[in-house]
Amino acid sequence: MSGWRGVITSVILLAMLAGVTATMQIRASSDAEDGGSGAEALPDGSSVIHEKPSAVSSNTLVQPETFPVTVRKPSGPPRVATNLKDIHGEAVTVACSTCHSTRSPNLQNKTPHSLDEFHSGMKFTHGTVSCLSCHNAADYDSLQLADGHRVEFTDVMTLCGQCHGPQMKDYEHGVHGGLNGYWDLSRGPQQKNNCVDCHNPHTPQFPKMQPTFKPKDRFLEQSRSEH
Amino acid sequence: MPANARKKRNVAALKHAVRSYPGFLWWGLGQATNGGLGFYVWMTVLTAIALVGANAWAHQVAQGMIVTNMTDHVSWGLYIANFTFGVGLAAGGVMMVIPAYLYDDEEMHKVVIIGEAVAIAAIVMCTLSVLVDLGRPDRFWHLLPVIGRINWPVSMLTWDVIVLNGYLVINLHIVGYLLYMRYLGRKPNPKWYVPFVFLSIIWAISIHTVTAFLYCGLGGRPFWNTALLAPRFLASAFVSGPAFIILVMRILRITTGFAAPPKPARTLIQIIRVAMTINLVMLASELFTLFYTGGAHGESAKYLFFGSHGHYGLVPWIWTAIACNLIGTGLFFMPDALERSNTRIAACILCIVGIWIEKGMGLIIPGFIPSTLHEIVEYTPSLTEWKVTAGIWAFGFLLLTVLLKLITTVFAAEAHKTEIA
Amino acid sequence: MTTDNASPQEPHDGEHLKPLLPILDQHSTRRTLLKTAGAALGLAAFGEALSPLMVIPENVSVDEFLQQHYKELTDEDKKKVFARLEAETKERFGANVTITDAKPIPGVRFAYAINVSKCNGNGKCMEACNKENNHHRGVDQSYIRVLEMTKGSMDMEHGSTTYDHTVPQDDKFYLPVQCQQCDNPPCVSACPIEATWKEDDGIVVVDYNWCIGCRYCEAACPYHARRFNWELPEIPAEEVNPNQGYLSNRIRPQGAMEKCHFCLHRTREGRAPACQEACPTGARVFGDLNDPDSAINYVLKNKRVFVLKEELGTKPSFFYFFD
Repeated sequence: MSGWRGVITSVILLAMLAGVTATMQIRASSDAEDGGSGAEALPDGSSVIHEKPSAVSSNTLVQPETFPVTVRKPSGPPRVATNLKDIHGEAVTVACSTCHSTRSPNLQNKTPHSLDEFHSGMKFTHGTVSCLSCHNAADYDSLQLADGHRVEFTDVMTLCGQCHGPQMKDYEHGVHGGLNGYWDLSRGPQQKNNCVDCHNPHTPQFPKMQPTFKPKDRFLEQSRSEH
Repeated sequence: MPANARKKRNVAALKHAVRSYPGFLWWGLGQATNGGLGFYVWMTVLTAIALVGANAWAHQVAQGMIVTNMTDHVSWGLYIANFTFGVGLAAGGVMMVIPAYLYDDEEMHKVVIIGEAVAIAAIVMCTLSVLVDLGRPDRFWHLLPVIGRINWPVSMLTWDVIVLNGYLVINLHIVGYLLYMRYLGRKPNPKWYVPFVFLSIIWAISIHTVTAFLYCGLGGRPFWNTALLAPRFLASAFVSGPAFIILVMRILRITTGFAAPPKPARTLIQIIRVAMTINLVMLASELFTLFYTGGAHGESAKYLFFGSHGHYGLVPWIWTAIACNLIGTGLFFMPDALERSNTRIAACILCIVGIWIEKGMGLIIPGFIPSTLHEIVEYTPSLTEWKVTAGIWAFGFLLLTVLLKLITTVFAAEAHKTEIA
Repeated sequence: MTTDNASPQEPHDGEHLKPLLPILDQHSTRRTLLKTAGAALGLAAFGEALSPLMVIPENVSVDEFLQQHYKELTDEDKKKVFARLEAETKERFGANVTITDAKPIPGVRFAYAINVSKCNGNGKCMEACNKENNHHRGVDQSYIRVLEMTKGSMDMEHGSTTYDHTVPQDDKFYLPVQCQQCDNPPCVSACPIEATWKEDDGIVVVDYNWCIGCRYCEAACPYHARRFNWELPEIPAEEVNPNQGYLSNRIRPQGAMEKCHFCLHRTREGRAPACQEACPTGARVFGDLNDPDSAINYVLKNKRVFVLKEELGTKPSFFYFFD
């Protein structure tokens, strides 16, 4: 009978070993399959053509066989509130040029702090650029690029892109600014924000928010106060 | 007698035996439900508790697992804790089988069937514990081979289902065959049970190893993801199983006068001494790794033993377990424990309680705390969970009682016959 | 009720030590009678105790009970199953819905990336997920959990999901976690019945009508990505999203597991996932890993990318990056 002891012990060990090995092999082979399918190339490169909004000057790009990527266009030149009301009770707003065409700009004003007559109290946290880095002294209803070229308010992204190259590059690749609609342009259109949809040009940092939606986990009833 | 005729006669005898096996079971059921007032009170109380549990479970199925206190953070609780302990109890019976069959311990041979009965009841409890943990028990058939879609061999849970059911079948066969042979007054044919006994030895080890693999194979749960888990499971099973069997033998002696020889219990206590020491050494080395190294991997252990971020839910549990285990082990090492003494009983009870906590609440729950995103959500079983668990234990005891009653009746009848002869 | 069992008062019973070998040598008929009565009573009580289970036949039709695994359903079967589910949704939730079965787009392999520099923890993604995917309104569940992390540490131990103040805090960053759609998913290996699997486009899905609710996958997932339906979800009829996928956002049954499926009922039709559309910071990038010009590949090539718990070898299709 004592011979049994050795036999049994080795059978136990072998059985366990065999079980473990079989499991590992099957897991390994399923890994290999996964890896294989992951590396699979596109059967036909042309079936999915991704379009990039490469130029901001044109807001809607259409290429054959793909749906458009639409960048929301900023509204035109801003209107300035006058605090007056017309006979219908509507607020009276004026174009920038209404005042600026009659007054020559004070080139001494570089920051909002020195604005004591108009625009006083304006918040400005956009680095050290001055007003006329972006606003066009020749025509206040438009903007200007760093090289002095005029650019419309509706094409503000060209202006932003001068300094914010990396963000612009990300944006062009769909990695900045979010999107709505279709990820696959062969199936449907896509809508994107422009810079000033999310960033106030004078205080460009994304605003703070209050979270409004929280999971009501069961355990919170007991321990919300503690953690 | 020509060999041919002998063979014919054997076949006829076998046919007769097979046909009368259901008759034997029916007779056994009748015998197993006979007893005095105490027996009926015991059975009635167990039935009542089992009914309460069944009712609580039915409500749980109807209303959803929301009636438990489990959450997406602690997604397993008391049920799986009990399951883990139950597997240990079932595997522990093998510590009677090994001396009896591998070392030809004659006296152990006489009582080994008790260990097998405990294993059967424990496995049934385990199966029930898993069943009540299912969110959709009505879809249980999905787990069955052929008609279901069993993810074998990749899923450790399928291994567990297979080994647990296999172990149940093997033990039912062994116990059934040996009792039936004794009932018929025939000598059991080794061909029909010895291979299964050896299979059951491998199987007993495998059920607890596979159950440990369920947990330690999960890379996302550092508290479980340790190679020591399976050995620790086995070591603690070889304490709780034999300790439980010693208690059962004592109860049998008191209630039915079934007198087990003194040697098997002594052998079991020697085994417990070794297994418990190994268990404690492994626990200590686990704790050393967790606490000396520190870091996020030790966070569950920190929560378990000392509390973490103001949460101390399991601290009283685990220190109770440690105290029970240490005192129980100490008692087992006293010379008194080798005699039929109260020390022995106290030691058994302490170690069973200690291991129930250590392998149940102390092992399953901290695996989930902190969660995989390191959130701390505590868990205390709900009333429903306690009711269902109590019901499962009651049903297990009910089954064990019937089995033991059957065993003692057959043994007593045989003894009586020997006397007459 | 069952105390009747104890009524047979037989103080001592030497009888049962008598030779018992003659088969079916039972005891007195009175005892047998009482035992039979006790057994009947016990069975009746057992039936009574289990009576709440009668809701199963009420709620689970024979067709549902016998329904095969998703992969074994023919198109004809699916039609019937979806029609049944639509009718059940109408009956239980009062909403008219359409259940579809969007298939993976050949050659497409989805991946997601989150810009950790941009995410400010506002939680709009969770809200969008909750609405899009017909989550239980009672607990405002979603597939996303946003961790508020302490700057200077990637240790989630220092994170919190229960923050409730204006965001972003200066000393914090935010880490939204949802299903990482692993290439080596531990949850799929864990499932004993193949109720969850990885599809060709990389999305790990669950057949909510096959899952038995053992929650082993939930224990196996290192990212807390799985959610269990502890009860039947409640959703007001007018809030039910009628545009539903069988493997995605249809209202889940009680007792089954669920998880993020990259909004496959949208993304397999080319649309962006709900959480991406909802993100006000533009931190979320979604696309096809197999398309070299996709946004996701731009991120992988140009950004400092990491994955969560890379050491576990789960190979996520979900990436995080800094600007």
